[in-house]
Formats: sequence, C-alpha cells, structure tokens
Amino acid sequence: MIILDSASKYLNLGEPSRSSHLWKYTPWKRVHPSGNIGEIPTLSKPKLSLSLLDGSDAPDGITLIEGGMNEVDLPETDELTHSFLEAISEYSKWTLKVDRGFNSAKPVILEIEAGDKASSCHISLDIGEAAEIEIVTKVTGGKDWFGLLRTGEVGSGTILNDVLIGLMERGTMLRTDSISVGRDAQVRAGTVSSGSEKTKSDVRFRMGQIGGSVRVLGSILSTESMHLDHHVEIHHDAPQTFSRLSWHSACGGDSRTVGTGMLRVSDGSKGADAAQIFHNLLLSKKAEADSIPELEVMEHDVVGCGHGTANGPIDEQQMFYLEARGLDKQEAKRTLIAAFLNSTLSEMGSELLHEWLVSELTKKLDSLES
Amino acid sequence: MAMNGLRRTDGLMGDNLEAREAVGDYKAGWHDPENSTIRFDFGLSEEVVREISNLKNEPSWMTEMRVKAFNHFIERPMPKWGNTHLLEEIDFDKICYYLRSSESTERDWEDVPDDIRNTFERLGIPEAEQKWLSGVTAQYESEAVYHSIREDLEEQGVIFLDMDSGLRDFPEIVKKWFCSVVPLTDNKFAALNTAVWSGGSFIYVPKGVHVEMPVQAYFRINAKNMGQFERTLIIADEGSSIHYVEGCTAPSYSTDSLHSAVVELVALPGSHIRYSTIQNWSSNVYNLVTKRGIAHENAKIEWVDGNIGSKLTMKYPAVILKGEGSHAEVISVAYSGDGQHQDAGAKIHHLASNTTSKILSKSISKSGGRGSYRGMVTVSPKADNCKLNVVCDALILDEDSRSDTYPTMEVSNPTARCEHEASVSKVSDDQLFYLMSRGHSEEESLAMIVNGFFEPFTRELPMEYAVELNQLMALEMEGSIG
Repeated sequence: MIILDSASKYLNLGEPSRSSHLWKYTPWKRVHPSGNIGEIPTLSKPKLSLSLLDGSDAPDGITLIEGGMNEVDLPETDELTHSFLEAISEYSKWTLKVDRGFNSAKPVILEIEAGDKASSCHISLDIGEAAEIEIVTKVTGGKDWFGLLRTGEVGSGTILNDVLIGLMERGTMLRTDSISVGRDAQVRAGTVSSGSEKTKSDVRFRMGQIGGSVRVLGSILSTESMHLDHHVEIHHDAPQTFSRLSWHSACGGDSRTVGTGMLRVSDGSKGADAAQIFHNLLLSKKAEADSIPELEVMEHDVVGCGHGTANGPIDEQQMFYLEARGLDKQEAKRTLIAAFLNSTLSEMGSELLHEWLVSELTKKLDSLES
Repeated sequence: MAMNGLRRTDGLMGDNLEAREAVGDYKAGWHDPENSTIRFDFGLSEEVVREISNLKNEPSWMTEMRVKAFNHFIERPMPKWGNTHLLEEIDFDKICYYLRSSESTERDWEDVPDDIRNTFERLGIPEAEQKWLSGVTAQYESEAVYHSIREDLEEQGVIFLDMDSGLRDFPEIVKKWFCSVVPLTDNKFAALNTAVWSGGSFIYVPKGVHVEMPVQAYFRINAKNMGQFERTLIIADEGSSIHYVEGCTAPSYSTDSLHSAVVELVALPGSHIRYSTIQNWSSNVYNLVTKRGIAHENAKIEWVDGNIGSKLTMKYPAVILKGEGSHAEVISVAYSGDGQHQDAGAKIHHLASNTTSKILSKSISKSGGRGSYRGMVTVSPKADNCKLNVVCDALILDEDSRSDTYPTMEVSNPTARCEHEASVSKVSDDQLFYLMSRGHSEEESLAMIVNGFFEPFTRELPMEYAVELNQLMALEMEGSIG
C-alpha cells in the first residue's frame, strides 16, 4: 500500500462536491488562500506564546514544544481540509503537552498572533491522563488568511475545558480539529467566534473508550458581511458515552452563519446519550442563518439521541421589559444579544474564564450596527 | 410489428407459467399470470420514448417534452447522496418501461378483464368505492384499467380522469400545468418519469366545489422487472377542496421493479388539497418519487404519507408556499424492516409572508431496517412573519437497525419563527412493563406502543385505511420479541 504524503493526498482529492452539505454553503474555492485550489501555497509561521490568563508564566507541567507528534485513534476527518492544512503547516508544527496528573486552578492561554500575511499552524494536543486544566486558544491579527489544524488526544480521566476564541481583524480562517477523548475523560470545547470575514471550521471528537463525555458549545456573533460556517461532529464509538452540542449564533448586518452538526452513535455504543441544539438569533433583514443538525444512530439501546434547532428574532416583550426599565433601544438590544450568547459562554468553563470571555466579547458587541 | 430495438407483443401472451415465488408475510405479494396486450422489451431509448407517445396518440408538444426529458435523464448523473449503494444497483436496461394489460379504461368493474378485476377485488377496491369514495381510478402496470366518478360531482364540473384521458380531453389545461410544479430537469427520476410517464390521475376541481368524500387511486404492479411511471396532476381552483388517497402494492419477486412517479399539486387561492398515500410496495420495489405542490394565497396543502413497503424509498413531499397566508402540512410515517431503507422526509419553501407549515415525521426501524428523515425548510428574505415547526421521532426496535435524521433549515428573514426537534429512542421498558402488568403479552404490548407511536398519522387517515394500517403494523410486530 502506498502511503501518500499530505500534499499528494490533497492534490488527489480534487474539488469537493457541493451536493455534500459540508461544502454546500462555503465552497472550497472561497476559503482556499489563493482561490486556486490546485495550489499548495507556502505560508508564514504565526507567533505562538503560552502563559496564564493574567499574563504570568505558564506553570510547570504544561509546555509548548515546536514539532509535531504521532497520533492514533483520531476521528474520521474531512480529508480535504486536514491534508491541506497538514501540507501547508509542514514547517509550522507545535505540540501542546500537558503532563499526567497536572492540575491548574488558573486558565492557561495559548496566544496565536496570525500576522499580516497568510499563515498557518498545526498544533498537536498531548493531554495526559488524570489532568485538570482550562486552556484558551486566542487567535488575533490575521488580516489575510489563517489556517489552524488541531489534532490529538485527551487522556483518560482528564477534565479539560478547551476554548478557542477567534478575534481576527478580517480575512479568512480555516480550522480543522480532530480530537480523541479517552476513558472517562470530560471535555468542554467552546468556540467563540466574532472575527474574520470568512470562517470555515470543522471540529470533530471521537469517544472511542467507555465513559467519555463531550460538551461542545458555540457563541457566534456575525456582523457586517461575515460568513461563518461551523461544522461539529461527535462520534460515540463506545458504551456509556455522553455528548451535548449547544450552538448559539447571533447574526446581524448582511452576514450569514451556518451551523451543521452530526451526532453519530455507532453499533455497540450502549447507553449513549447524545443531543444537539442550534439556536439562531436573526438581527437584521439581510442576515441569514442555516442549521443542519444531523443524527445517525446505529445502536438501539441508547439513553436518548435528539436534536433541535430554533430560529427567531429578538423578543419584542423582552425589549419592552428592558426599555420600560430605562434602557434605550440600542442598550436593550445589546443586553439581549449578550444574554443570548452568554447562555453558552457561561457553560464553557470556570467563572474566571467566563469573565474574561465576556470582556472579550463585549468589545465586539460595540461594533454591532443598530 | 417490427421496430428497431423495440419489440411489442400484440395479442394475449397466455399464462405465465413461472412458479409463484414465496411471498412471506406480505399480504399483497401474490401475482397473477401476465396477460399483456402490449409489452415493450427491456431497456430505454429515445425510440421507446417516442413509441410510448405514439401509442397514446399524444400531441407533438408532449412527445418533444418526453424526448427532452429522456435526454436530461441520460445526461444527469445518479444522486450522490442518500443510499448511493442501493441506487447504483438499479439496472435501467433490465426494466420494462411500458406494459399494457387492458385495451381500454372501463367505467364499470364488470367490463374490466377478469384477472385484473379479481386482483382489485382481492385488494378490496370495488367494495371501498361503493362505501366511501367519490371516485376511483385503478392502474394496472402502465395504464389505468378502471375509472369512475360520482355523477353529482361530474355535474358540478369536477374532472377526475386518468392522466392519458386528461391529456386527450383537456390538452390546454394539461399543457398549462404539466411540469409547472416539477420541471423535467428537477432531478434524474423526475426526468425519467416525464420521458416515459403513463397513467396516473388528472383532477380539476372547479371554483368553490368541495369534494366531500375522498377520491382514490390504486396502483398495482403485477409483472416482473416492471417500471411504473404514473403522473398525477391535481388542480384545485379557488375556494375548492379535495382529498385524494392513493395505495400501492406489488407482488414479491426476487428481481427488482421500479416505481418512479411524479405528483404535481396546484392549490389556487383559498383552496385545500389533501393527498394521502399508503405505500405498501413489496420489498423488491424501488420507490423513487417526486411529489410537490404549490400553494397560492390562503391555500392549504397537506401530504399524509405512509411508507410501509419497498426496498428503497426516496420520497420528500414538498410544498412551495407561494401565496400570502398559505399553509402546508406533512405528516409521515415510515416502517423499515429487513433489507428496507425508507429515506423519506419533507421540503417546505416559504416564499410569501404570513405562511405557516408543520412537519411531523415518525419512523420505526426493525430487523436491520434503516429509517432516514431528510428534510429541508427555507424561508426567503421577502417572507415576513412565517412560522414553521418540524418534529421527527424515531424508534429503533432492535440492535440490527438504524435511524438517521438529516434536516436542513435555511432562514433568511429575521421575523421567522422556526422550530425543529427530533429524537431517536428505543421502546420504553416502563411502557412495556405497564402494559404487560395489565395482562398483555410482550408482543401485543409492543404492537400497541407502535400503534400509539403512529397515532398522530393514523388519525388523519380515512377510517378504513387507519384500521388496515394498524392491522398491518400488528402483523409486522409479530415475532419481534425473543
């Protein structure tokens, strides 16, 4: 069997069909750095730094090492974006290593300064067993194009709160996550997105061992002419696994948000409990929100598998209530949007992390047109 | 009659002596000897398409439309979604595209050839007509063999004909609406139907006329490797209403047959069309159907869709809410047993303001069957104050079966209120225990739970159909325990 390198694999794949919902709303041409899909460009290397949320040095037990690692048991990913990101990040690889039993009460922040030119990186997550940690990955800068590939595994019994906040000034962000969750590990994976003009994100988790738990949360704010496309897949491949996907998008201006989810419960995953919900708040006449929450259930002995989606405008009665208490229209609207996004934001981690996330998002809310 | 690449058999072929095949539990699985007056060789070509049109003495515009559709069918690739594995197994060269078993469409059951009449009597159609129907059309293979409508409705101007007679007697109405809701380029199977359609119903309900009792069409495939491509067009003029019911069965053969129908509904302002289907094809039939309606101002279209049989069903009844205040409802149930894949769902497009819609989908998978809900709901930027609600529930009865939901919701108007919810679960142990503690066997209890699960659907059916469906489901549940 010939094993192709990432570049050859990508070039062999060709353009993805738009009949697949993964590419229906955001064609690959629109997110490729040059638009020429036959090209694998050479990109810059972003700057990465690791510290505590208050700016002090990261404690012992968590390290950022330049270079990749071998990974196994990853969920099935979108081959195209995975191989493309792997190819363009060949010389831009890091490993975020958390030692076995590491415990930190303070959140750790991994800052990625994407720079003015197109850049990309591949981060391997090597989270040891029985650790307890909150990690925030903050992407800033990036006026052109930024690609992020995250792969790796969360060790057995570990409790991980993993939040990615995208605050790029403009440009395009392409993100692919492929993460394997160990036995009895508990993962909360938050995505806060309010930067970049275009985002194409594909996040996948695989629970291949008994007792794994994944909560995927999204707080998405799109303004002006942003196009934010997020796809989340959770694979239940072992008994007694648990997942919740809760995605809140507020869309203003003439922006568009796309939320697609897939919960796949494979044969033999007895006692699996899976649910997903997408909520969209439409703030302007030209905004659009699309949701596709999908389920594939091949095991009958499940606790339950469900999904839901709801779209609607800002509630008139809630506006009236706030205006009656002295808030002007703009303040009332901003409060309700903040509350809407906060319902998932508040679930992403500790109080300390939550406060920090709120302060970051509040800055963005100011730019929302009335 | 010799033709290049075509062979027709004129005159009766005599009894088909092939041994009757095992029909299992499928009640409608017997087959009668094939007595065809015209039978085309297997395979499809432009010549076949032109010959079908020629046999029916159609106007040239219809012939040209058929040919155009045939060319589109050839050019269009197979869908790359759904159960592509089963779709690829269809061999279009091993299907008979036209088979006529009766010389004409009769208005009296006594005039229908004995063997065909016996078939429909075994299916209970003449009896049902006397009791509770306004009209009946019965289609056997490619052509309608019996057709009738109550005289009082005919006097009020209601037109209820088989599609071929509709085209012959009302060519202008047919020309205006044919392919207006489902264009011939809509999808591969709609193109195939447009190329080789035969039979189906043509209904026009004049302004303000309410057809109180349902009209029914019954479709029967009898021959092996048969393709049935009926075409139905229903036009409800302003302020009128009609309920159309269709049923389908076929014998159980070891080789596959193809049913690929197109149904177009036009609900003009203030009208109401309800279209109920109980699809109970045998498990060797591919059921690839395109059903779509357009609802004008304040009109209402309802699809009540039961999918019990077939090998693979791909059917997504659709409504385009074009007029302000229009309403759409799709209530569907699907049962997937051994070797079956029911890929069913609904599509609703809100194009106008103050439109509302509701989708309720229920499915049960058992003995390795696969049930999929695939739906799409869109709200266009100009459609203000739309409300829509989608609910999908699925039960998986054993460890070999599977259930999927693939819903899509595209909302481009901030005033829309849209809700979607779905759940997949097994039969609750508590419910089983409750019923068994009251003296029912486990099998009876399961059948009761399943019937209860389907109840929102069965209560929308005419009583006879509801009773039949309940019995059918009880039969399917037999042997499912232990």
